[in-house]
Amino acid sequence: MEKAAAGDLLKELGTTLERARSIFEALSVEPAKPAGEVEASQRVEDLEGEITANERDREELTARLVEAEHQLGRLMNLYVATFQLHATLDPTEVQATIAEIAVDLLGAERFVLLLRSEGTNECEVALSRGLDQDPSGLYGREKYLGGDPLVDAALEDGVLRMGPDEFSDAIAAVPLRVQDAIVGVLVVLKLFDHKTILRAEDRDLLDLLAAHAASALFAARVYSNTDRKLRTLESLVQLVRST
Amino acid sequence: MRRTEVQPQKILVVDDSKLIHKMFEVLLRQFALIHAHDGLEALQCLGNHADIDLILLDINMPRMSGLEFLNQIKADAAFQEIPVVIISTEGKEEDTVRGLEAGAAAYIKKPFGNQELIEVIQRL
Repeated sequence: MEKAAAGDLLKELGTTLERARSIFEALSVEPAKPAGEVEASQRVEDLEGEITANERDREELTARLVEAEHQLGRLMNLYVATFQLHATLDPTEVQATIAEIAVDLLGAERFVLLLRSEGTNECEVALSRGLDQDPSGLYGREKYLGGDPLVDAALEDGVLRMGPDEFSDAIAAVPLRVQDAIVGVLVVLKLFDHKTILRAEDRDLLDLLAAHAASALFAARVYSNTDRKLRTLESLVQLVRST
Repeated sequence: MRRTEVQPQKILVVDDSKLIHKMFEVLLRQFALIHAHDGLEALQCLGNHADIDLILLDINMPRMSGLEFLNQIKADAAFQEIPVVIISTEGKEEDTVRGLEAGAAAYIKKPFGNQELIEVIQRL
């Protein structure tokens, strides 16, 4: 009798333990989120992804804008320099423009424009600035007879040379070409203290000067000579008519 | 700048470099520009145009330098309120101090970046 009661008790205890285990398991499982909350959290995740992508795009666009503004500045300088070089047929004004490009756009404090004398290998100093402080003395007597390796090389082969060079005072020697002939060279000897180096955009300007400065000067000189001859002929014709 | 009407704001450019005048023509298309090539010509321009909003001024010029011009207009009640931006190759610290002490609102060294100039003009 007692054994039967103990068996019942054990059976009941087993059933109770089984129920307790299933309740415990049910409680251990994380409660499911309501459907709206799941959607919202997914949306937040998506939006965060979009914000990150937008920030990346913004940074890329900012970098592109800075680069575009930089390019615009370079192109503007090139346009203005070309425009001014060819805006006049007065040789003095063309030379003044070359000087303005050197000073205002390149930041040259000391420079000299050498033009080859016709029929010789000598160069005359057509234009200069700050030469009174030039320690080399190569350009002091209105003529350049050679002596600076960078300048001589540029005059020889027409290739733009950039310093610094151990044996040269020049920061840049810009050959001036008309068609295939090298008619002179622009020598940059010193930059302003606040302009520490020549940058990539300055190289563009130097190339432009090499290509355009000489042809502008040449055209202006030809026009000037032709105009002078025309005036002389007109005076002669008037003289002949009056006599 | 003093006025913000719809009409283009008027800027007096004082520089003996034709290249700089051309550059400003291209860069400052949205403004009405008045051109002078030295201090004396600039004074005449101020007499002829009462509505100038800003002056861009070089220092080294023939006949009358930028600093002389600046001193004159800062002593004249009719013009002393016009902001002046010095744009010069003179880049030493003492040059900047001298210009600002003479009454310039800003000092920009040549060669300058276009964005730098635009930002200064917008600030004024």
